[in-house]
Amino acid sequence: MFELDVATRHIKSRRRQTLFSIIAVSLAVGIIIIFMSMMSGYTSILIDSTTENQAHITVMPKEGEDYIHLYHGLENHIYDLEGVEAVSSYFQGEAALQYKHNVEGVLLYGINPEDENRVVNRDKYMLAGEFTSIENPGSRIVLGYKLAKNLDVGMGDSVTAKVPGAEPTDFTITGIFQTGTPLDETMAFVNIERLQDLYGSGDVITGMGIRMFDAYAAEELANGIDRETGYDAISWMEQNAEILTLLETSEGMVYFFYVIIFSISGFGIANVLIMIVMEKVGEIGMLMAMGTSRRSIMLIFLLEAAILGMFGVIVGCILGYGASLAIASITIPVPPEMYFGMDHLPIVIELENFISASIFAMVINIIAGVFPARRASKMDPVEAIYSV
Amino acid sequence: MSDKYIIQVKNLTKIFGDGVEIKALDGVDLDIERGEFLAIIGPSGSGKSTLLNQIGILDTPTSGTVLLNGVDVTKMSDKERSRTRNKELGFIFQYHHLLPDFNALENVMMPLLISGIRSSQARDIARKVLDEVGLGDRMEHRPNQLSGGQNQRVAIARALVNKPSIVIGDEPTGNLDSKASENIYELLRQLNREHNQTFILVTHDERMAAKTDRIIRLVDGRVAENSINSN
Repeated sequence: MFELDVATRHIKSRRRQTLFSIIAVSLAVGIIIIFMSMMSGYTSILIDSTTENQAHITVMPKEGEDYIHLYHGLENHIYDLEGVEAVSSYFQGEAALQYKHNVEGVLLYGINPEDENRVVNRDKYMLAGEFTSIENPGSRIVLGYKLAKNLDVGMGDSVTAKVPGAEPTDFTITGIFQTGTPLDETMAFVNIERLQDLYGSGDVITGMGIRMFDAYAAEELANGIDRETGYDAISWMEQNAEILTLLETSEGMVYFFYVIIFSISGFGIANVLIMIVMEKVGEIGMLMAMGTSRRSIMLIFLLEAAILGMFGVIVGCILGYGASLAIASITIPVPPEMYFGMDHLPIVIELENFISASIFAMVINIIAGVFPARRASKMDPVEAIYSV
Repeated sequence: MSDKYIIQVKNLTKIFGDGVEIKALDGVDLDIERGEFLAIIGPSGSGKSTLLNQIGILDTPTSGTVLLNGVDVTKMSDKERSRTRNKELGFIFQYHHLLPDFNALENVMMPLLISGIRSSQARDIARKVLDEVGLGDRMEHRPNQLSGGQNQRVAIARALVNKPSIVIGDEPTGNLDSKASENIYELLRQLNREHNQTFILVTHDERMAAKTDRIIRLVDGRVAENSINSN
C-alpha cells in the first residue's frame, strides 16, 4: 500500500511540526482522560453513597392510606422476590426532641436494627455506641452527630421526644452516627415497637426498605411491586432523580468541553497537514500524473491525520493514566462532612474512558484531516505540476 | 481507427480563462504513429504544453477528441484516466518532480506500486531500469544527493518503469546544461529504439528537435508545420 508509505515519509520529513501536533493531541487526550476519571470517580461516589445510604426500593402505603397494615405477609412476599437481598420495615414519624432548652425537629424511625442493618449498613456509620442497642423495645435512641451537637447532648444523656397526641417520652442516647449527609442533622432511630406504642398505631408500618443484590435492577422491581401489590414502590433512581439528572447534565456539559479540547488539537493536525499539502503541491501533481487516483491522494492525507492522531492518542493515554494515578494519590484536607467524607479527589481509572477518549480523538483528528485531504485530492494535476 | 496510429488528435480546442478567453489550442489535428520519436516546438504560449497535457490525459479539452489506441480519452471517467496514465503513459517534466522523501530506487518503484505490483517485484524491475539509465550505483541516493542530470535520469527511469506505450516529455532537458541535455537526449533516443515506445517531446531546442523523426510546430494553438526529418 504505497499510500501508507508516502504518508509516513511526509510525516517523517516534518519532524518538528509532527512532534508538536502529537503533543497537542496527547495533551488533549491526557486532560480528557483525567476529566473522565474524575467524572467517573465523582459519579461512582455519588451513586455508591446513594445506594449505600438508602434503601434501593422504598415501599409506601397505598394512595390515600397512612399505613401498611398486615405487613408481615408483604414483607415475606417481597423477600422471596428475585434479586431482593434484604427487607426492613419501618415506622416513621415526625417528632420534636428536647434537651434542656434545646429543641430540634426530627424524623424518628422505628426499625428493627438487625433488618435495617441488612438494608443499609448503619453500623458502619456509628461514631459512638451500638446501632443494635435499640434491638429491644426499650426507650433508647440512636441519633445523628449533628443533631446531638445541636441539642448539646452526648452518649447516655436523656432526651425528651414529643409526638402529637402523646405524652412526652424520655429516650436515652445509646448511639451516635455520622453519615456525612444532611441526615446527620434530622434523623434518629428507635425500636419499631416502641415507636408504634408511642404513636398508638398498633402493629402497622409507614414503609418498607428493600436492598437489592444489583442496585440497578431496582427500577424494574419497584415497578413490578407497584403493579402487583398496589403499594407505592419507589426506586432509589426515582427518589434521586434530581441527582441523576444533575449528573447527566454535567456529563453533557463535560462532553461539550471535550469536543472543544479535541477540536483545538484537531486544528493542530489540520494545520500540519495543510502545510504539508501546500509544500507538496508539485509532488501531488506528479503522483496524479503517475496514475494515483484522487481517492488515493485523499487516503494519503487521511492516513497522515490518523498516524499523527494515533501517536497522540498513545502518548495521551499514558499521560492520562500517570496523571490520574498521581492526582488520586494526593490527599486533600476537606472536612469529612463535605463530599461524602472524601479526603482525596475521586478518581476511577476505567478502561472504558481510555477507549472512548481515544475513539473520540481519532474521529476528530480524521475529520481534521478531511479538509486538507480533500484539498489535495481536488487539485488540478496540470496546475500542481507546473506550480513548481 | 488505424492500428498504425497510437494517438489521433481530432479538431482539439482548449479555451482557458474566465472573462477573457484565451484559445490555447485551436482545432488541432494530429496523428502519431506507434514508435515515433516526435518533437513539438513553437514559441512560448503557442499551446505546446497544453497539447501535451491533453495527450497525457492530465487535462480535458474544451472540444475535440484524443484517441489513445483508438479509445477516446476525453470521455473517460476520473478513475479510468488515472489507470490509463499509470499503464499507458510515462511523464518527464522540465523539473524532475521526484518525491524528495524517497530515494532513487523508491521513486522509480512508485508507478509500479501505484499499479498494485508487490514491493519486492517492483524493486527488481526498478533496479533494472535504473541500471539502464546508468544510475545503477546511485539507487539509494535521495534527489537532493543527486545532480540535475542524474535526477532527470531517475525521472526518465520512473517514466519508463511501467513500460508505457507513450512517453511524454515537456522540456525534459530544459533545466540542464548542453552536455547533460545531449546525454539525456541520446538516452531517450536509445530507449525509443530499444523498446519501440512512442516519444513526444516538447522542446525549445531546435537543434535537438532536428534529431527527431518529425517536428510539429505550433503557432497560436494551430499546427503550423508538420515535417518529417530526413536524418
